[in-house]
Amino acid sequence: MRNLTLASGLALTLAFTTSGAAQEEPIKIGIPVGLSGANSVVAPSVVQSSELAAQEINEAGGILGRQVELVVADDGSGAQGAQRAFDSLVYQDEVDVLISMETSAARNAGLPIVNRSETPYIYTSFYEGRSCSPYMFVNAWVPEQQVTPVVDHFVNELDAQTFYLIGSDYEFGRGMLEFTRQYIEESGGEVLGEEYLPMDASDWTPILSDVRSKAPDAVITSTAGGAPNVTLTKQMRNSGIDVPYGNLAVDEGTAGNMGSDATGIYISQSYLTGIESEENAAFLSAMDEKFGSALETPNDLSVPQYEAIYLYKAAVEQAGTTDKAAVIEALPQVSYKGPRGDIQMNVQHHTPLTMYLGQVEEDGSVSVIQRFEDVDPGEQCPNL
Amino acid sequence: MTALFLDIVTTSAILFIVAAGLMIILGVMKLINFAHGAFLTVGGYSAYIVTDYGFSPWLTVPFAAFVGFVLGIAVERLVVRPLYSRPLDAILATWGLGIVITQIIVFAFGRGVQFAESPMSGTLEIFAVGYSAWRLTLVLVAVLLGVGLTALLYLTRFGLNARAVIMNEDLARGLGIDSVKVRVSTFGLGAALACGAGALITPLLSIDPNMGLPWLVNSFMLVLVSGVAIPGLALASLLLGGAQVVVSTFVSPILGGVTIVVFAAILLRIRPKGLFGG
Repeated sequence: MRNLTLASGLALTLAFTTSGAAQEEPIKIGIPVGLSGANSVVAPSVVQSSELAAQEINEAGGILGRQVELVVADDGSGAQGAQRAFDSLVYQDEVDVLISMETSAARNAGLPIVNRSETPYIYTSFYEGRSCSPYMFVNAWVPEQQVTPVVDHFVNELDAQTFYLIGSDYEFGRGMLEFTRQYIEESGGEVLGEEYLPMDASDWTPILSDVRSKAPDAVITSTAGGAPNVTLTKQMRNSGIDVPYGNLAVDEGTAGNMGSDATGIYISQSYLTGIESEENAAFLSAMDEKFGSALETPNDLSVPQYEAIYLYKAAVEQAGTTDKAAVIEALPQVSYKGPRGDIQMNVQHHTPLTMYLGQVEEDGSVSVIQRFEDVDPGEQCPNL
Repeated sequence: MTALFLDIVTTSAILFIVAAGLMIILGVMKLINFAHGAFLTVGGYSAYIVTDYGFSPWLTVPFAAFVGFVLGIAVERLVVRPLYSRPLDAILATWGLGIVITQIIVFAFGRGVQFAESPMSGTLEIFAVGYSAWRLTLVLVAVLLGVGLTALLYLTRFGLNARAVIMNEDLARGLGIDSVKVRVSTFGLGAALACGAGALITPLLSIDPNMGLPWLVNSFMLVLVSGVAIPGLALASLLLGGAQVVVSTFVSPILGGVTIVVFAAILLRIRPKGLFGG
């Protein structure tokens, strides 16, 4: 008898809670991200900024009165994991939108699933450019936006005529340097050498000897993040090469940790923690308050992720529904003023961005040398 | 040309330093230590701990070697010794041990890249070119290491016992040599060399949980080609390291990365017992 009472009481509570939730089912945001593999170093910062955005939106009453729920899935930083992650997010969790920072391999593997299910997808990682889908929007930079400030500064301000390019042998590394070479040649400069090492290799000695013998005016590198970037920078400094050095792959945090070896490196980003704006100050203090000592330094990958969730909110509110087709139509029309300024994905599904050319100081901080307003992403997807 | 020569000599020196620990263990214990890569990584993190606590970067190598020695003795006692009679299982066990060590490092320090201070930086003037001071230092270290290990094997009681165990373990035991003690000291020494090498290469590399892995395959190839002898290892390092630099310089750095493995396979086809093998 007692069991029966207990059971009915339990049933009642259950019925009560489910009927409460049924009125407004949460909006589900799918976040496939590289919790393991190459991206595992940066992924925690991306998850943190997503959590802050969701919390802020929910505390302010949600989107169209509905709460937001994040569904994070590990894509293993690669193609196979991404297929599984996209598939389960779209078809099992039935998310309303996909918003994620991922490797190019993971993005390419996920795109067919995005296309088949016609799910809106905001890609928040900078990448090598020219990836197009009617359902995908990009709010981070492409080579046209990131490389040009570095090359322009080297050619115009530092009078560099000859360049040497070094990269990791993968899609992003080669894509970035291919554009860099093209742009240098258009600017009247000359590329003396372009060399690559496999991603897991760590001995840059022969390439650095070649750099020394060719004596370029400037070096530009685009390696995989993390280890290859650090080994190349250390060995270059140790071999006495001290020409202007533009690093397309280093972020603020790594540069700060690298110590004296990083001093003088030029970097080009759409987000630096030192951006002076109300939005950035509010964002940084909210992150600090939410995560405290567990905070991963916000960076050029985690901030676009934060802004993308707000862009989706704006699009749903403009469309008045989470209907996928209506949201996709609204996405390029809405804008959001975030830590990086006004963001609108209105150029062939890509985003004009304000870029910052920075130089690493002796104490590891990054000083902004030049600010480039509203740099256009160029012709990324002429058919969209 | 001078730069090419220096590249070859310094690359060979680094290979020699990195492979020495693996060879000592293989020579005495007939055991290929696949945890060698993880030991190198432990050496890198030891260096990180030393400079992180504000001690002099010159202490990184002795500290790493000490950590390696203690780790080696513990591993020998707990993992390797119970498997003496099953050599293949012992090899598998060291492979697994490597994975376990790497995961422990991930738990303790995270997957990210760590930084240790370098004992020296910048370049030295040699043969009228400025060349990485640390790489030149490593050449000196490699020479001292080679001489030191030779002296240890041929001029000390431990070396005599070790050589006796290498030649005929049963006979050595019959003559009263404690072969278990020889084995445990050897494994400790090999691990100390590996960790010390890990600390020695950190000024050129990043410290991350997988930093030792790319070196494992190359070390393995070098040791096979060497015929498990110290002069053989020196010659193998010069030949294969030289080939790597030459291919990287004149053909492509990407092909340079696989040169050691390919060249080693060819050498072993011609001389199956290695350069100095009987």
